[in-house]
Amino acid sequence: MATPVSVLRLPKGPDPNCRGFDPNSPRFIALCRTSIVTSAASETDAEQLPKEQHARSVLRESFLRCLLSMTNKKVRFHLHERVKVEATFGASDIDVLNFQVSDLHTPIGVQKEALIRCQDVISFTFEA
Amino acid sequence: MQCDWPLLGPLKWIRYVNKQVKVKAGKDEERCGWLLTVDPVSASLVLVNFKEEGGASVQVVMGHAVEEVEVLREADDETTERLQTSFLPSKTRRLDPEELRKRRGGVRGWLEKNRIPVEEEGDELRVAGVLTITAPYGPEDCCSSNQIILDRIQKLIQSVIQFQPDNPETDPESDPATTR
Repeated sequence: MATPVSVLRLPKGPDPNCRGFDPNSPRFIALCRTSIVTSAASETDAEQLPKEQHARSVLRESFLRCLLSMTNKKVRFHLHERVKVEATFGASDIDVLNFQVSDLHTPIGVQKEALIRCQDVISFTFEA
Repeated sequence: MQCDWPLLGPLKWIRYVNKQVKVKAGKDEERCGWLLTVDPVSASLVLVNFKEEGGASVQVVMGHAVEEVEVLREADDETTERLQTSFLPSKTRRLDPEELRKRRGGVRGWLEKNRIPVEEEGDELRVAGVLTITAPYGPEDCCSSNQIILDRIQKLIQSVIQFQPDNPETDPESDPATTR
């Protein structure tokens, strides 16, 4: 099962005109509802905005450090339909929409490099 | 089935941090653990479970898959401390004040030797009014909005560490006496 499988099709790259967090980019609007809705709600209450921003940055920093500590570690991804795959974590994109991994063990073989869509992932686990 | 979890917002999410939670996600799958953080961009929950032999097992549940989040209990002080420090090595490890003072003095002396204006402001070092160095005064602890100065100071401090790795007693504490 350890024979590497050749890449069948390269994934389409990101739109070069958008910048990840740009709330007007079609990619962001289609996939990331969270931040837009929250900002709209807090605009009605200007006092809450600094508190919300502080909470947001604390949470995000913590999460980014968690992603950092995950690099080059073996991670088990739980996908839909109870599919479990293991891979070595490489990086995440800024919107947490895709994970770049190496040595992805799939039921049909080992992919040397792969991009996993986060919508396909239910959860993932690793040892700290 | 989409629940309201991704729509709660940072102010509500942060209230779940440092609590033991049970998360229902996917097909009747439940995960328990201490909540370390929630990613504000994807609403993903980071759950930590400590292992008996030390170390921790971390599970991240993607925000879009969350069906229900239930709080089981709050963390006591010891667990909170463990959550903040033992898991993420990039956070500051606490050093005792004497050690920090020596290191601060060492870094300050080195910068002054290199003709860089530096002032002590409490526990921090303020460099040229635009860069701040917090404990333990390593290259990763420099903060500035000026990328060029940040780069230069980081490289300078890097050479202090290589010069005197584990011995703060022989630090430039003794140097100011010889240079002045």
